[in-house]
Amino acid sequence: MNVSFGFSQTKDHIRAANEAVGEAIIGLSGIPVDLAIIFTTIEFTHPLVLKTANNLLGEIPILGCSTLGIMTAEGIFKHGFAILLISLSRQMFFNVAAVKDVNKKTSLLAGRELGEKLLYGCKNVRRNLSIIFSDGLITDATNLINGLQENLGRSFPLVGASASDNFIFQKTFQYFNKELLTESCCGVLFGGGINFGHGIKHGWKPLGKIRCVTNSHGNLIKEIDGRAAVKLYEDYLAKDALELSRELRRISIFYPIGIYLPGEREYLLRNIISIKDDGSLITQGDIPQNSKIRLMIGTKDSCLEAAGRACEDAKKNLLGQKAKFVMIFDSASRFSLLGRQYVRELEIIKEAFGEDIPLIGIYTYGEQAPLKSLNYLGRSYCHSQSINVLAVGGQ
Amino acid sequence: MGIALLLKMQRLKDLEKRTEGLNASLEEMDEQAKLIIRTDIELNKTQEELDKKITGLSTLQKLSRQMSTTLEEKQIFKKIGNEYLEDLGFEKSSAFLWDALAREFHQYLSIGYSEEDALKIKNAVNSDKDYYLDLMHGSKTASSVFVPQGFLPKDKVCRLFQVNEFIICPITPQEGNQGFIFVGTQNIETRITEGEREIITILANQIGQALDNARLFEKTWRSQQELEMKVEERTRQLSEALEKVKIISKRKSDFISSVSHELRTPLTSIKGYAAILLAGKLGAVPDEIKERLGKINRHSDELVHMVNDLLDIARIESGKVNMNIESADLSAIVEKVADLLSEQLKTKNISFNMRIPEDCRKVMADRSQIERVFINLLGNALKFTPEKGAISVNATCLNKMVQVDLTDTGFGIPEEAQEKIFDEFYRVDNTINQEVKGTGLGLTLVKHIIEAHRGKIWVKSKIGEGSTFSFTLNCA
Repeated sequence: MNVSFGFSQTKDHIRAANEAVGEAIIGLSGIPVDLAIIFTTIEFTHPLVLKTANNLLGEIPILGCSTLGIMTAEGIFKHGFAILLISLSRQMFFNVAAVKDVNKKTSLLAGRELGEKLLYGCKNVRRNLSIIFSDGLITDATNLINGLQENLGRSFPLVGASASDNFIFQKTFQYFNKELLTESCCGVLFGGGINFGHGIKHGWKPLGKIRCVTNSHGNLIKEIDGRAAVKLYEDYLAKDALELSRELRRISIFYPIGIYLPGEREYLLRNIISIKDDGSLITQGDIPQNSKIRLMIGTKDSCLEAAGRACEDAKKNLLGQKAKFVMIFDSASRFSLLGRQYVRELEIIKEAFGEDIPLIGIYTYGEQAPLKSLNYLGRSYCHSQSINVLAVGGQ
Repeated sequence: MGIALLLKMQRLKDLEKRTEGLNASLEEMDEQAKLIIRTDIELNKTQEELDKKITGLSTLQKLSRQMSTTLEEKQIFKKIGNEYLEDLGFEKSSAFLWDALAREFHQYLSIGYSEEDALKIKNAVNSDKDYYLDLMHGSKTASSVFVPQGFLPKDKVCRLFQVNEFIICPITPQEGNQGFIFVGTQNIETRITEGEREIITILANQIGQALDNARLFEKTWRSQQELEMKVEERTRQLSEALEKVKIISKRKSDFISSVSHELRTPLTSIKGYAAILLAGKLGAVPDEIKERLGKINRHSDELVHMVNDLLDIARIESGKVNMNIESADLSAIVEKVADLLSEQLKTKNISFNMRIPEDCRKVMADRSQIERVFINLLGNALKFTPEKGAISVNATCLNKMVQVDLTDTGFGIPEEAQEKIFDEFYRVDNTINQEVKGTGLGLTLVKHIIEAHRGKIWVKSKIGEGSTFSFTLNCA
């Protein structure tokens, strides 16, 4: 496996695409390209930008999404166009696919459709890894994953990123070949023995009593301990519902809900998106009824320490092989929480994998990955506020 | 059985008590957790505010440096780039200055908007200009957190500028057109803080100061341009006048030279014939005629002297005299001249002192010309110093120059005459000058000779105390 990376910050979008793609092609020194992954900040999401990349790359499949910031080994950029070109060995294979109109079709059905498409031509071979890029504003991301895994199976990990815009929460974009999509999900299924390591961590710690979600449906929590769900935050933060309705989305970045998962060291986090008039909470990702939950607290230090642990997990799973490249799906909330220290997270990643590691990362509105514990092996979850590290080592 | 039941009940009671205790502890811990979270919220808020302030201040410092490099109004706004705005936590900005003559706001900055949107905003601002003028004149800041009374509703501003949060701050330079700057963000996670309001206020003040500087510079530059033009015009006039003066001066020198030459020839004849007549070569001359002839001869001598002086001055002025400047012994020159005048010194019983230190002796001079200088100056000193007076010549050496001071105990020169004394034909109005004839050219000639040696000459004098004529020569 060979990889090459290209990046441009040029304000002229077409020129930026030309520069970045050109740089990546030169980097491969004539080796045939199999797959291109493109990440751009929101102002580069224009059909012509994708068309430019497509014209330069020919018939090579393209996947990717929009983001509020791009992480490279050189730094973190709030504006830019990044491309990763992958050349696979003959023993490896892959298939790409996309599903559109996720909300209209319902997430579960859309997930199943994508799974079916990804499996096309790959049913009789050993599958290793699937990476997906979905719209970060899809309300029921959990069922998208469930539907997807119903068809793909759970014998191999599925990792993914929910595309972001620049904190406007209006529209996010997904790239699939020549198409600039929204409300969609695109992905790739790898097979044939790709070696990779994966780690996902957040760093938040539980605080206060264990509570029970007594009434919930999907990502809507109606009651906690038999009371309106919002009471949890009213009690802890000493703020009334009106005040919370203005601030809870931001505050819940610091104090999300953590779902207790037996056998897991870390809780599964859920951010609050909004409060309904009846005091129900809408979360980013589902919370099953009867879940044991706790309010979580995080600090910049615990966040950064978790980034280190995610990298170590990913490295460990590579079984001694040196990573060919590292892909990071980092929560937009962490970017916001870390403030001036967001660069420190990149330093930690580079300390773990080496200064010269080809690295590409994005800030996401949600991360998808399996849990570490054996009890959960095979099933992927929607995570919040986590850093999702995927280190690919080749065959 | 009964006992066993009792024991079990007792144990149940104990367990209940322990559970109650544990629950109470759990509740207490939960209360503590609430306190921790509330404190943590405050800490996070403070930290966030501090982070914003640090980033904001560092950005302001960079911006201030950038803005101070330009003294052009439009360029000041161009320095507020995308990157700086993002560092301040905003991605959209617009700035306007009020044109009092046209009675409308002109847009000077637009970041994060298409040309079409920018125009729409400009038109809308001008439609609601009274609200913005009121904000500007009242030096009030509006934000999505606080909208001053009488200003546009928050939602209307948000819709117009396509943002969720905003700050509008007046730009109030001390002179000239005022305006306002708008900054905003679509980020729904952002809440405008007091710190951000302060930072944007500082930015608006910096813009105001930069505008003041630019306007002051413009004013100064214009004044300087006018002044330069005036100076140029005056210099041109002076140059023309100087050229005219030079031409006139040359004509004067040429005229004097030519007239002097023309005078000298007949004078020589007059003097020659007078001498022949006086010598009686053409026959005996009666005493009365002899006396008249003597006068003719004497006056002719004076006239020759005057003509010679005039010729010399004209030559030196026109550069026709070749100064043979070489190393000369100053003491020897002074001694020679003193020797020439020794008879007159003795007659008037005037003491003469010379003090020329060893290191001042060697000067660069045309010996014969410097002798003329001393003859003139010592001659004058002798003329104006009463009997039993004193004349001294002192020399001092400083910075490779020798200063010669010739001091007498004469009558002194009135202050008003000291400036004119070196002018041609100027003679101090005193009794001696009325009695003793002179050309009024001696000191003019002296000045020309000294200046031809690249030296300076001046006089210090006090009536009744005497005079000191000083001049400088280069050391050899």
